[in-house]
Amino acid sequence: MVKKKCVAMLLAGGKGSRLNDLTKDLAKPAVPFGGKYRIIDFTLSNCTNSGIDTVGVLTQYQPLLLNSYIGIGSAWDLDSKDGGVTVLPPYSEDSEVKWYTGTASAIYQNLNYLKQYQPDYVLILSGDHIYKMNYERMLEFHIEKKADVTISLIEVPWDEASRFGIMNTDREMRIVEFEEKPSIPKNNLASMGIYIFSWNILKEYLEVDAQKTDSNHDFGKDIIPSLLEDGKKLFAYPFKGYWKDVGTVQSLWEANMDLLKEDCELNLFDNNWRIYSVNPNQPPQFISPDAVVKESLINEGCTIEGEIDHSVLFQGVSIGAGAIVKDSVIMPDAIIGKDCFIEKAIVPSDVPIPDGTVIRSFDGEVILVTKEMIHELYTAY
Amino acid sequence: MKRKLLGIIDATTYHEDLEDLLTHRSLAALPFGGRYRIIDFVLSNMVNSGIRSVAIFPKMQYRSLMDHLGSGKNWDLNRKRDGLFFFPSAIIDSDFNMVGSFDLFAANMDYFYRSTQEYALISNCFTVFNMDFRPLLDWHTHSGCDITEIHHQDGSSLELYLIKTSLLIKLIETRHQTGYSCMKDVVHDMHHGYTICHYDYNGYAVMIDSIETYFSTSMNLLQKNVWKNLFLAEQPILTKVKDEPPTKYVKGSMVKNAMIANGGLISGTVENSIVSRGVKIGKGTVIKNCIIMQKCQIEDNCYLDSVILDKDVKIEAGTKLIGTEKSPYVVRKGTKQGALMNS
Repeated sequence: MVKKKCVAMLLAGGKGSRLNDLTKDLAKPAVPFGGKYRIIDFTLSNCTNSGIDTVGVLTQYQPLLLNSYIGIGSAWDLDSKDGGVTVLPPYSEDSEVKWYTGTASAIYQNLNYLKQYQPDYVLILSGDHIYKMNYERMLEFHIEKKADVTISLIEVPWDEASRFGIMNTDREMRIVEFEEKPSIPKNNLASMGIYIFSWNILKEYLEVDAQKTDSNHDFGKDIIPSLLEDGKKLFAYPFKGYWKDVGTVQSLWEANMDLLKEDCELNLFDNNWRIYSVNPNQPPQFISPDAVVKESLINEGCTIEGEIDHSVLFQGVSIGAGAIVKDSVIMPDAIIGKDCFIEKAIVPSDVPIPDGTVIRSFDGEVILVTKEMIHELYTAY
Repeated sequence: MKRKLLGIIDATTYHEDLEDLLTHRSLAALPFGGRYRIIDFVLSNMVNSGIRSVAIFPKMQYRSLMDHLGSGKNWDLNRKRDGLFFFPSAIIDSDFNMVGSFDLFAANMDYFYRSTQEYALISNCFTVFNMDFRPLLDWHTHSGCDITEIHHQDGSSLELYLIKTSLLIKLIETRHQTGYSCMKDVVHDMHHGYTICHYDYNGYAVMIDSIETYFSTSMNLLQKNVWKNLFLAEQPILTKVKDEPPTKYVKGSMVKNAMIANGGLISGTVENSIVSRGVKIGKGTVIKNCIIMQKCQIEDNCYLDSVILDKDVKIEAGTKLIGTEKSPYVVRKGTKQGALMNS
């Protein structure tokens, strides 16, 4: 194996249970986002654009779709001879099946994967977030500070700070304290769950942690606190830009709506930082003579015969004549019948909406349309 | 079907009338339908019909065609066995413009000798259609015909021929003795003793041979029945994929009766038009009855009616361009048009 300076480990086994039915059959990183992408596209594209060509993707929960989506990584130009993308599912050893019990245990169980590349640095990522970031800059920062670990931080609103892992730093950005979800935060710099470890430190701490019976085997809860306790050099790397954890139906909807702003902070049109994705190869979208399209993001393969107002439509969606879709997200290949009225909703791929259906939110909450909901609507009368 | 049929595409054809659009590319690579090149139709038809070995014979200006086809990956033709073959012509100054020149094939006889496929399908590169060739092959093998020419419903030839590979080899080898220079010569001659048959294809098919047919065929895509006949989910027209984001319709945009590819940023009005990938249309701009090719930028407050913009054209703010249905106004690739130039 060719030695690699930096190898990325992408944690993609999360269930994302607060996304309800959207993650019933697929892992959170595979949830569709932005009219074309899946959440994991952002992290994988960041890797490619940052020049990181060796990525281990750790899957566990509902991995079928995610595994086949990633394939050999060609969509992200990661199908290279040396390195490239490797999907790393949990495996069994002797008599024991080793499930990934925490973020640290997932990496620990794949130390052999890392060892074959003899990396100097390991970049730990999560496949749950929407953002564009140059990891190379962060690695330069890590090397310059001669850090043992560098943690990427983002400024969050003060009133939300108590929901995050908060880092307190000195003037040189060295981390002096880490508080997981503090009730009275001293700071509003939250961990983005992105870490760069110097390889020897990572190996040492993972091996020690694996032997501890009282550990959660989690980076935030166990590894980072013990590194701080031992006086290791932990630095905070401040990130500026769009970053969103789309962990709930509401936040997934919001992040999609963000894309409709004219001056959207997350620029999908930047040729120098493309977000790569598995392209469906469908014909251009067809907007019929009677259709109306306002302030929307629409992907190829759509057939629009109704009115689309301030919405995001994934590939292959069909909207019947007379239908009105407002402030909504319509997932790939979904079918909206004629004369429907849909407002502030997420319509999944596998829930066809019959002609004349009205779906609207009365309490301001985003509606995630389900088969049961449609069934109830049509049996109530 | 697998490994039973060879696909042969003659990509040397040139139509004088399309000159404005063919200065940088061959006819086969002419952009069509917002995201395709004309050759995508026959090539996808071949792949969808189970053909696994396709030979393409291009002439000059094949840079854009090669760039488009690459290794054949988008058509699943980057295979260890068979796949996509590219045979640029060594005959540079030939004016021969018939489909399937035997001289062209003769320069690459090894391909035909080495192929194990029993039959060969010889095609032009400029027909817009979505045809399954499997029923044709079935029909041909049971008919006892030596050569089958595919006709459109009106009786005109689609310049598509099905023939046994061994007979094709024989025709190429004996071309000097027989005087046959291409398939058309053979099909039109009565004295060779081969059985020539016709197979009628009743689906949608148009051969693009002039600006007028190019323009009208493009506009036909806006008719639902045409669109539905060409773009079938089970027989997709494949093309080179690009990592463009979905198209963004900004506040104030108005779009009606249009086919719009990905990567667009639409702020103005678009009506009865075909818009390719990565096009920007400014505020207050009106685009009517137009074909806008890839990466064009049309600034604010322009008015374009019956115009074809080739790739990478920039239209400066306030420009007005008007053509007609019979003779659309064509702006060549990579040029810039300002408001003053045209007044």
